[in-house]
Amino acid sequence: MTLLRSLDRLLYKIEFGFLVAFLSSMILLAFMQVVLRNVFGTGIVWADTIVRHLVLWSGFIGAALATGKEKHISIDALTKYLSARTRHIVMVFTCTFAVITCYYLGRAGWTFVLEQQLNGGELVLGIQTWVALLIIPAGYFLIAFHFLIKLIENAISTFDGKQEAK
Amino acid sequence: MSPILIGIGLALLALLGAPLFAIIGAISMLSFAGEGIDISAVIVELYRIGSNPTLVAIPLFTFAGYVLAESGAPTRMVNLARAFFGTIPGGLSVVVLVTCALFTAFTGASGVTIVALGGLLYPILLKEQYPERFSLGLITTSGSLGLLFPPSLPLILYAITSGISIDKLFAAGIIPGILLVLILAAYGIRQGKKLNIPKTPFSWMNVISALKAAAWEVPLPFVIVGGIYTGTFTATEAAAVTAFYVLVVEVFIYRDLNLFKDIPRVMKESMILVGAIIMIICTAMGLTNYLVDQEVPMKLFEFTKTFISSPVMFLVVLNIFLIIVGMMMDIFSAIIVVVPLIIPIAAAYEINPVHLGIIFLTNLEIGYLTPPVGLNLFISSIRFEKPVFTVVRATLPYILILLVALMVITYVPELSLWLGDTLNIK
Repeated sequence: MTLLRSLDRLLYKIEFGFLVAFLSSMILLAFMQVVLRNVFGTGIVWADTIVRHLVLWSGFIGAALATGKEKHISIDALTKYLSARTRHIVMVFTCTFAVITCYYLGRAGWTFVLEQQLNGGELVLGIQTWVALLIIPAGYFLIAFHFLIKLIENAISTFDGKQEAK
Repeated sequence: MSPILIGIGLALLALLGAPLFAIIGAISMLSFAGEGIDISAVIVELYRIGSNPTLVAIPLFTFAGYVLAESGAPTRMVNLARAFFGTIPGGLSVVVLVTCALFTAFTGASGVTIVALGGLLYPILLKEQYPERFSLGLITTSGSLGLLFPPSLPLILYAITSGISIDKLFAAGIIPGILLVLILAAYGIRQGKKLNIPKTPFSWMNVISALKAAAWEVPLPFVIVGGIYTGTFTATEAAAVTAFYVLVVEVFIYRDLNLFKDIPRVMKESMILVGAIIMIICTAMGLTNYLVDQEVPMKLFEFTKTFISSPVMFLVVLNIFLIIVGMMMDIFSAIIVVVPLIIPIAAAYEINPVHLGIIFLTNLEIGYLTPPVGLNLFISSIRFEKPVFTVVRATLPYILILLVALMVITYVPELSLWLGDTLNIK
């Protein structure tokens, strides 16, 4: 468990790093493009495509980070009123569901990537289209993993019966 | 397992707080699988919406909003608004409404307004002898007030899901948005008069020094709105300019935020919200397309036609329905799941889709204030350490006022359509 937990933490750190890199390049590229278009009447051919895919990449990574912070959009009107212990039990169920669903979404994403690989095709700058789409399965699998850790943590807390200070 | 059992199970999981994107994702995968279609169809739709060029505006505007929220911009904005409006009776309530509305337009009604601005304004309200209940209700209501002003996130999302041009929707929101602010300001001024709250004398010195302090931020709304309305740049380009400009101004000119110490954290916080929204958009697209393929909207229309014959009656029912939706769902999922279903129905009743969008968002704005899931109620309750029930009671008069405004917006389509038509925005 300690190993899994440190892996979880390491993953969050890596995601954070990538997120900052992606968002920074998105801001710079998008701004450069506006300046080039409006001031110089030109533009970088590949920039728009790259920016659009950066949104997808940083969106999925943001979603992975949202898992740790419990910031996914959900209905929390009911769970607010539960006791800490009951909430742990409920979380075990909801996390299990999230893990399974994300796993299947990730598998569906993988199928999609394989299809694109078969079709071939280049996005821009020599990047194969299927490579740009890898974030879809990767993102879902990352989210599934983070939910799995949450599931285990909540299961442990349920059996320990200890009140987690939050 | 029968579909009904699965449906009950999923509804239960949703109520227990399972992430909504997973619920929606599970429903779409099960629906496709039920038709014998490979579940990767969900991903095909995901990629189609995920590479939509307008989507770029979401992370850029959200990031800009979060940077503004973390910087000294809220304080400077409040000072500026006080210099202008402090002199009228109940002027501080006008300050609250105007600054919060502007701020929400940038931060997308994600609760940031109440935390960043409310925390600043609430103590000032109390210090100037505004009653606690009045102040609490005012701040809670203001937390989602700017929803109809560009470049708010819900407007962008509505444009993406409905396929309406984002520029057109940006123009449509302005007048109804101003109406909401005015009508609430009138209430605030009346209360201010009734309670005999002392006024601050007007001084040009104050105005000039406040303007000087906020000199780099004041042009921002004008550049965005003006740039889009004159066709100088698109909404997405405006987002790129805003994100870059705000970053430079707050980090290098005001030095409120440190590029290496603060900005990565702000990036993370803003992208967590964006990620959560993009997850919902992406997974919901598969479901909505499935529903449209199955002609669910048309079936719903056939059903409603037997009860509702006139467009006016349809609008009444629509408002009631949307307020219920707003009570149950947050605005982001509501837009993505409900909009594609009601657009064809509304079109059958000859409701303009742009007008429909404004009605939709005004309803959902009220939904932020209605129990049981009204987001603002909970944020206020946590931020100001008051029981949710107290917040609900404080917000009640404002909800009633907003409902009146909603009726006006619903039955006077010109409010939403006039500006766009006059400026001939495509």
